[in-house]
Amino acid sequence: MAVRVVTVNRVAKLTWVERLYLPMILKGLWVTSRHFFRNLWGFATGRSEAFVVQYPEERVDFADAFRGMPVLVARGDGLPRCVACGLCEFACPTDCIRIVPGELPDDAVERTPRSFTIDMARCMFCGLCEESCPEEAIVMSREVEIATFTRDAMLYEKEHLLVPEALLERRLGFLRAEYGRERAPAAPRDGA
Amino acid sequence: MSTGPRLRLPGERKDGAQPDLHAEHQILNMGPSHPATHGTVKFLIELDGESIVDLDVQVGYVHRGFEKECESRSWYQCIPYTDRLNYNSAILCNLGFCMAVEKLLEIETPERCQWLRVLAGEISRLGDHLTRCGASCLELQAMTPFLYGIEARELVWDLQEMLCGARVTTNYVRIGGVKHDLPEGFAAAAGDLLAKVRSLLRDFDAVVTRNRIFVDRLKDTGVLSKEDCIRHAVTGPVLRAAGVPLDLRKDEPYLVYDQLDFDVPVGTVGDNYDRYLVCVEEMQQSLRIVEQCVDRLGALGPGPVDVDDPRVRWPAKGRVFEGMEELIQQFKSVTEGPKVPAGEGYLAIESANGELGFYLVSDGSQRPVKVRCRPPSFLNLQPLPLMVRGAMLADLIPTFDFLNMIGGECDR
Amino acid sequence: MDDCASPLLRRLLDTHGSALHATHARLGDATAIVKPPALLEVMGFLRDEPGLEFDMLLDLTAVDHLGEEPRFEMVYHLYSLARNHRLRIKARLPESEPVVASLTGLWASADWMEREVFDLYGIRFEGHPDLRRILLDESFEGHPLRKDHPKAARRPPVEPRQA
Repeated sequence: MAVRVVTVNRVAKLTWVERLYLPMILKGLWVTSRHFFRNLWGFATGRSEAFVVQYPEERVDFADAFRGMPVLVARGDGLPRCVACGLCEFACPTDCIRIVPGELPDDAVERTPRSFTIDMARCMFCGLCEESCPEEAIVMSREVEIATFTRDAMLYEKEHLLVPEALLERRLGFLRAEYGRERAPAAPRDGA
Repeated sequence: MSTGPRLRLPGERKDGAQPDLHAEHQILNMGPSHPATHGTVKFLIELDGESIVDLDVQVGYVHRGFEKECESRSWYQCIPYTDRLNYNSAILCNLGFCMAVEKLLEIETPERCQWLRVLAGEISRLGDHLTRCGASCLELQAMTPFLYGIEARELVWDLQEMLCGARVTTNYVRIGGVKHDLPEGFAAAAGDLLAKVRSLLRDFDAVVTRNRIFVDRLKDTGVLSKEDCIRHAVTGPVLRAAGVPLDLRKDEPYLVYDQLDFDVPVGTVGDNYDRYLVCVEEMQQSLRIVEQCVDRLGALGPGPVDVDDPRVRWPAKGRVFEGMEELIQQFKSVTEGPKVPAGEGYLAIESANGELGFYLVSDGSQRPVKVRCRPPSFLNLQPLPLMVRGAMLADLIPTFDFLNMIGGECDR
Repeated sequence: MDDCASPLLRRLLDTHGSALHATHARLGDATAIVKPPALLEVMGFLRDEPGLEFDMLLDLTAVDHLGEEPRFEMVYHLYSLARNHRLRIKARLPESEPVVASLTGLWASADWMEREVFDLYGIRFEGHPDLRRILLDESFEGHPLRKDHPKAARRPPVEPRQA
């Protein structure tokens, strides 16, 4: 394995053909027309390789790891899985989560958020809330279209945030694949 | 003195008053938001006709108080903030910060993690250079190469999204590890990407590199000599274009760069054309490194990517759900955050723009006392007046573009 | 306190021992704490002495140790391109008079970084050719990176300047 230092091949002087402008313009046209005809062929045959996506008619399929806006996972009975422990509130770097805990007397978990507000205008989609959650109750969805006309509409309450588990399967599947991973014992730094 | 009639100068009035040609310098405000500059910065230009006499660069329009904000957050919460330093190569900023914290904590990350970090960092560098070269072409009125460059960058960002979960603000590297391992099918996607980016770079090269207009605009403009670069602590491709082979990946190898095979391109003159060529060559080298990393990660097989130290890294999620001990640890780690031993440390990595250093001071608590980011853009921008003094106003555009000043990183 | 593990520090102690408060090489970063009046002389020596040849001033910043005296600490990171070694120089400045010699005469890179420290910490640099705010607006009051500057401080938007 080696690192070499190389000097870049600088064009000392352009050839007279290149200095004539016209041949280089034709060369440029050749490159761009190649792209054009390839795209046209793809369009005509229905196997378009064009890079542009005709949003909103067409949508991009995000990767499994994609982090969209954070949402709350709803249990089968419609209540949030969240037990209002407040860890996401602690972990959030922008302080965009506000939780008011409440009681749930006739349930095994006993605690539930009375209100759960996320200020999407502040949220920076970093995913630390999801990483810190010990209940798999807040996850990053695949939703990104959250534009509104007012800032107040960016305050998402519990009711807006609850999403049934079935709709979040892809994200939960992605997260669960990571759960079993082992960790390496902490090795001291060399020379320390 | 003769009082006879003489020919009037162009513009001279009949009463003999002298025309005001080139007598007075003109002050021109360019920016802070100008279509021909990428980056929010204001130039106060003193012009003599079309030549630049002097230039005052005014930065600070994107100042968000990064350091102040970090001082009031836990070490862990600073990581997403480092994303916002450089939108083009967020992973490298994550990496620099986390490695600096690891230096204070005196821990070493597992081998697989180090390869992953190099892989992610090089993908990021690729995106940065593509933006630099593509956008510079756009600002020189060449729309097509810009589209090819940005298409390649989108492909790079697709890969970044697959790996990190976000295209721009990646938040991938963690103190003592990375967020997660390679997703399934990454090697195949990376192979696809490499082929496509190489083909786009070939098209880019065919349209631009030997095009007379492009060469005329770049050659011998914005020259910064080796000595001036060193005096101004300029680093990265700008320094290498001036012929100084300083690359921290080679000179102070961190992570696994000493096990990799790559070239460090250097220029000879230090003008914009050399900067362009150095960047293009560095992209080829980054592609090579990505290839080697993917191969090596495949050969290494599954393994840990985080250190198992609750002092540093939040416990593995699977165990938090099952074990009481880990659950308590999770609560402790999140609410208290990692406590970094008192001390100070400076760690620099080679980012796409040059030496990205983090100087951290800790008093042993969960919050940093000082998070200083040594921004390569800021220092690379400083000698700009030196580069364009005496040049035409139009030469300012390519010179500024190839410095690749990133507002977020320059102004913090 | 004096750690002579680094030959750089050994050399500095031998020649300018009286100008130094302390040295250490913790975490592998060779560090020397210089008495502020001797800063310019030590820096000049470091730049020009054969064998040391610190030709780049990579970084310059300050740290606010509120409650300690001297309160401010200047931190310089030097790098030698020729020798590929690094050194950190620090100097403590009192709260009552945070003034230190400017290094713009030695390294051109000090210019903007000293303006930044002046802007954010209010430390003045003697001999700086153009000491004015760089990141913040001229009308800004206070120095935000000082620990006693409240993070939540708000100020009205800057009025558009009248022509």
